[in-house]
Amino acid sequence: MKIPYGWVREFVDLRLTASQAADRLVNAGIEVASVTPLAPDLKGVIVGEIEAIERELGRGHAGHPLLLCRVSTGRDRYSVVCGAPNTRVGVRAAFAPPGAVLPGGQRIAAAKIHGVESQGMLCSERELGIGEEHEAGLLEVRDARPGADLVATLGLDDHVLEVEITPNRPDCLSVLGIARELAALTGARLRPPQIALKESGASARSLARVRIEAADLCHRFTARVISGVTLGSSPAWLRARLRAIGLRPISNVVDATNYVLWELGQPLHAYDYEAVADATIVVRRARADERFTTLDGQERVLDASMLLIADPRRAIGLAGVMGGANTEVTDRTTRVLLESAWFAPASIRRTSRALGLRTDAAYRFERGADVEGLVAASARAAALIAELAGGTIARGVVDAYPRKRKPEHVRLRMSRVKRVLGVAPSAAQARKVLTGLGLPVKPRGADLEVTVPSFRRDLSIEDDLVEEIIRVWGYDRIPSTLPGGAISLVTHPAALRQGQTVRRALVGAGLAEVVTYAFTDPARAELLRRSVDPKPVELMNPLAQDASLLRVNPLEGVLSAVATNVRRQQVDVRVFEVGKTYRWGNGDTGTTEPRWVAIALTGARSGPGWAGAPEPVDVYDAKGLAEHTLDALAVRASTGEAGVLSGFEPDCHGTLVAESGAIVAEFGEVAAALRESFGIPTPVFAAVVSLDAVGAAVAAPMRYQALPRFPAVERDLAFVIGGDQTLTAARIESALREEAGPLLRRLVLFDVFRFPDGRTSLAWRLLFQAEDRTLTDAEVNAIQERVVRRVTETFHITLRSG
Amino acid sequence: MAHPRVDAIVEQARAAVAAAQSSSELEAVRVGVLGRQGSLTQLLRSLGSLAPEERPLVGAAANEAKRALEGLLDARLAAASEAERQADRSRRRLDLTLPGRRPPKGSFHPLTRVHDEIVAIFAGLGFSVAEGPEIETDYHNFEALNIPRDHPARDMQDTFYLSESTLLRTHTSPVQIRAMLAQKPPVRIIVPGKVYRRDVVDMTHSPMFHQVEGLAVDHGITMADLKGTLELFAREMFGPRSRIRFRPSFFPFTEPSAEVDVVCFLCHGDGCRLCKEGGWLEILGCGMVHPRVLENVGYDPEELTGWAFGMGIERIAMLKYGIDDLRLFFENDLRFLEQFA
Repeated sequence: MKIPYGWVREFVDLRLTASQAADRLVNAGIEVASVTPLAPDLKGVIVGEIEAIERELGRGHAGHPLLLCRVSTGRDRYSVVCGAPNTRVGVRAAFAPPGAVLPGGQRIAAAKIHGVESQGMLCSERELGIGEEHEAGLLEVRDARPGADLVATLGLDDHVLEVEITPNRPDCLSVLGIARELAALTGARLRPPQIALKESGASARSLARVRIEAADLCHRFTARVISGVTLGSSPAWLRARLRAIGLRPISNVVDATNYVLWELGQPLHAYDYEAVADATIVVRRARADERFTTLDGQERVLDASMLLIADPRRAIGLAGVMGGANTEVTDRTTRVLLESAWFAPASIRRTSRALGLRTDAAYRFERGADVEGLVAASARAAALIAELAGGTIARGVVDAYPRKRKPEHVRLRMSRVKRVLGVAPSAAQARKVLTGLGLPVKPRGADLEVTVPSFRRDLSIEDDLVEEIIRVWGYDRIPSTLPGGAISLVTHPAALRQGQTVRRALVGAGLAEVVTYAFTDPARAELLRRSVDPKPVELMNPLAQDASLLRVNPLEGVLSAVATNVRRQQVDVRVFEVGKTYRWGNGDTGTTEPRWVAIALTGARSGPGWAGAPEPVDVYDAKGLAEHTLDALAVRASTGEAGVLSGFEPDCHGTLVAESGAIVAEFGEVAAALRESFGIPTPVFAAVVSLDAVGAAVAAPMRYQALPRFPAVERDLAFVIGGDQTLTAARIESALREEAGPLLRRLVLFDVFRFPDGRTSLAWRLLFQAEDRTLTDAEVNAIQERVVRRVTETFHITLRSG
Repeated sequence: MAHPRVDAIVEQARAAVAAAQSSSELEAVRVGVLGRQGSLTQLLRSLGSLAPEERPLVGAAANEAKRALEGLLDARLAAASEAERQADRSRRRLDLTLPGRRPPKGSFHPLTRVHDEIVAIFAGLGFSVAEGPEIETDYHNFEALNIPRDHPARDMQDTFYLSESTLLRTHTSPVQIRAMLAQKPPVRIIVPGKVYRRDVVDMTHSPMFHQVEGLAVDHGITMADLKGTLELFAREMFGPRSRIRFRPSFFPFTEPSAEVDVVCFLCHGDGCRLCKEGGWLEILGCGMVHPRVLENVGYDPEELTGWAFGMGIERIAMLKYGIDDLRLFFENDLRFLEQFA
């Protein structure tokens, strides 16, 4: 919200610069995003009066006559050529004499136009960089003294504070609110605006009636009537001020209500009195599907939760949000009915959001307006309308106030201040702070009792007052201490420790950790989804259609990271992510969040180097990393059957199974269709470890085993499998182990060789060792013979000789 | 003390040593003379067959010769080996500027680094880690934290909804509620995790980011304790010269509330580009747990007080590492990630 500092100073005497005032506000919890000068690059522009029009020089480019004028600045006279439509004798307007500087650094000098010397330039708003207006012509400043500095005349020698008000402080959504805050912070006196209300003629109550039919949503509604107004444009000072706060000037009546909204924080609305049937206001709920056209010309479909301002015949305003087109003030309006009311915040918020109609009025009502202050605001606006648009203000105000606010009292124990903050000012100091904030305070023994004013709806409990005190007294007075209390054991969840273990293992193995978004594209989810899968979790209000689901497959994140790198010429990628997927399930959220480690590899196993040509990664790298991860988590697993996760090539997809039989990891080559959907041209190998399944598996306890004391004997055995046989290494290995018995201490597959004819040779190194003696060759030979016979006969394969 | 039989062997051996060209030839000489079948060994072994009066003479001479030859051979062997190693090295011409064979280098994500650092600092101060779901109920994320439906405070966090009553958590604060409902005071936890806001991605916004929440509830805990704790944190995280300041702010679930700034660690408060000339950097929000929040979990606000804080891990990482674009964290470009190896 833009707050011109000069406006604030109309209500409080401050000897602070705008920046200093901003600092004070920030230290008291009112965020100030920026302090900017209003008219930064305007120099030497003054008020000039057109004393005479000497002659016409022809036509200007807009078709208006180019006139040679005599301009007076009180002391000096200038000959100036001007083609603006409102060039008339007697007009006082913005004048840039030679030497003046306009926005953009444009320095004015005498120049020849149509053969005549023009000594300076009469300016429009746009030329001065203070508004958009140009076609209407010169910026007129009617009441100003010729020769006066234009910047000062328009109040542009000012700074604007861009304040950001937290939702609890609607009282600060106004110039007066900021002035009140600064008064409290500096001890300066607050001078609320003086309202000179000249009422005459008939009473308002004889001219208008108000009936509230929904008192739960409208606690108070007041109406005033101003007769004999003439709509027109507002004077330059008001237009300049509205522009300074970011509003567009519309007409004197509307500008007056907007001005008071900014000044006092109370939204107001002016109706064309003649358009309101029977001069009767009815505040009621809308009917279901009732249609209503707001003054922006949009037809709105309403529901029964929305509050309307109506007359006996029809709706005339969307309460607290926007007025109606049917009662808008126009050029023909002569009599105005002025609304100043209080609406229930939640209702305004719901209506405004449901219709997508965010207005300055709704913004304030949904945070809470001042139910007691709205009468003064109405008077202030009425006086301003009468001043700007003429007319007379009917006597009194129609005031429907069915739910009169009861004063609230909050008790503050000074002991509580100390208990919450660890420090407290004296009761006298606290009382001074609260009083300074405009809060009436009475001592109650050692404590204080505060009567909460109607503009501070945020103060409802004792600790709210604790905050007020420390906010003004100064947060820097809070000392630094450390909490006491009993020592207790620091514990971290198993999931956190698991994640840290996995990360260390995989980073140690040379992988880069990635973090990716949890969102996914429905098209991709469909690609990964099998008929048995439940529907993915869907967002009601996604940012984009291709990010409208939560991911179901743990591979998506790592694949997106692979894709990014491959696209950026980083072709060797080895990454992992510790993350979650999201599924419908049980519990209070109706969902579950399975935890995974996902690993993806593409390109070469290592970067280029001089020691040998880099080899491409393959599925055994993925499997090895899954095994490495399980090792780090102390989970024993062996190769199992085909996996259940989607996203792998069916003929290159395996699992690792814990001793319980649960699948703890899956690995394989990523399905070509999936990686292509990410735009990855090269094969990707991946592994996924389920941290939930691993967590359920019992980690083997660490136990020391005595080191062998007797020498070991090694034997190598190679077997040849026929090209037409479907036999796995794992089956041969388990037969080897079983037959070799307990003296076999280690079994390592050390060579795999494929013959050109399709046969495969697998070679194992067997290490035999006894705990109690040195093994003899004869003993080992006997075992070896048994083992060879068993394997060759069981699987019908041959021992490779030589 | 000499003996012709010994002298002959010694003479022969010395000649062989002198003639030897390499360590392996020297080794052959050693074996020929001193080895199991060596000439001198054989002689010593045959002492028993000599006349008793000859035995000590031959024996003494042979033993002396053995010592002398061993000494000679050791010296010559050492010299020859050294010469051979040198020759070998110069033949190989090692270029030690060639890069070493390094194991592949992995990298922790910068967010993990900062996360672990924060967790470690607070673990040292007696805070245990608690976790909660990313998909939350409206109750835990808002209502229980004193943010009712239709309250403008909801505008502070634009929310992704799954249904009327479930959403992606907008902060880690709902875990405060879960933790307090699950345990008796005192509570001293930190809660790291992913959070979601409906913000379009740009240099400073992301629909997903990470927070760490802290919560301490006990008898007699004060805002001064909060300040002291965060001061310690700032010094650990940003260096021993770090100072912090509290500024009043508003969060519906704390009262009083504060924003915390740390003195800019580039300029130490003088003003620079990082702190936009202000000298301070905003790092987190905090406050005393609102009495209504304590009531919502069945704690008695007259008996217990508490404080909570929440910080963005990305924000801390950006400040600490000088990262100027939030998107880098989620793009996962290896050239970015490898800088945190």
